[in-house]
Amino acid sequence: MKEICIPISNLGEDEIAEVILTIGGKKTSYSFRVESFPWSVDQSQSPSDDESLHASLEQIAQLRSSISNYDNNWELIQIYTPRAGASHIQVLYRKKNGH
Amino acid sequence: MLKTQELVKVFRTEEVETTALNKVNLEIKQGEFVAIMGPSGCGKSTLLNIIGLLDNPSGGEFYFNGIEVSKFKEKQRTNLRKSNIGFVFQSFNLIDELTVFENVELPLLYMNVPSSDRKKKVEAVLERMKISHRKKHFPQQLSGGQQQRVAIARAVVANPKLILADEPTGNLDSANGEEVMELLSELNREGTTVVMVTHSPTDAEKAHRIVQLFDGHIVTENVKKVL
Repeated sequence: MKEICIPISNLGEDEIAEVILTIGGKKTSYSFRVESFPWSVDQSQSPSDDESLHASLEQIAQLRSSISNYDNNWELIQIYTPRAGASHIQVLYRKKNGH
Repeated sequence: MLKTQELVKVFRTEEVETTALNKVNLEIKQGEFVAIMGPSGCGKSTLLNIIGLLDNPSGGEFYFNGIEVSKFKEKQRTNLRKSNIGFVFQSFNLIDELTVFENVELPLLYMNVPSSDRKKKVEAVLERMKISHRKKHFPQQLSGGQQQRVAIARAVVANPKLILADEPTGNLDSANGEEVMELLSELNREGTTVVMVTHSPTDAEKAHRIVQLFDGHIVTENVKKVL
């Protein structure tokens, strides 16, 4: 068995999910947190194609910056696809070993 | 070994234009093991197809061993591909009508390797993949794990410098998945460059570097081990 999916309800901002795994008496602990980064830029009501492209690039630049400035003790595990029109994007982090 | 500069891939239909890759800059060195991750539809497989010379980009440059290949014709791409790249797919992509031996022999046939050499090479790689006892069987007579071992044997029989793996453990149970990952790691330790698309953080841990794609862009690269 390689991965186990654990349902976690309402993991809020600044909350950390600690998972302690015991296999054959050996304990390993993992800490996860979900962060919300901004995922919206100022756009006119009906943007042109060029404006949409620009907005998309700006969103990506914003995401890159948020990720690169994040606490180095945590490693990025997964970026979740935001819903259409969402103002934030969720990113899953795991605490690095030894921290 | 591989370098992309401002790589763009656009898929067009009469009504819709989708940018699958948007100015992707990526460099992969000989001997590296790189995992590409990201949500479905972010461009992972499109990138792998271009790196694997199965498709041309719509824009930008792609250097394969120092040669700019982004505008190569299909025949040029095929010639470069068959002598340099081995592929491993999630669904194995073995030919059901051919035996295990014949499936693994196929890349050598395309390269016009003489019959006696083919036999030696196929026997050796099947032995290495611990599947030689099944060489006369057909793919449908094998388990998923065994089929993927055959697919890896086919990918490495011609001794390629680069292995491209698209979700190689996606259809396998955990034990077989770990075995496949160990095989890929072993090939990498022997000098083969490995580029793997995966959704599995556990599989990605085996790589030197994890590249996160999102919406056709590389958003971050995480170095796990120094080459």
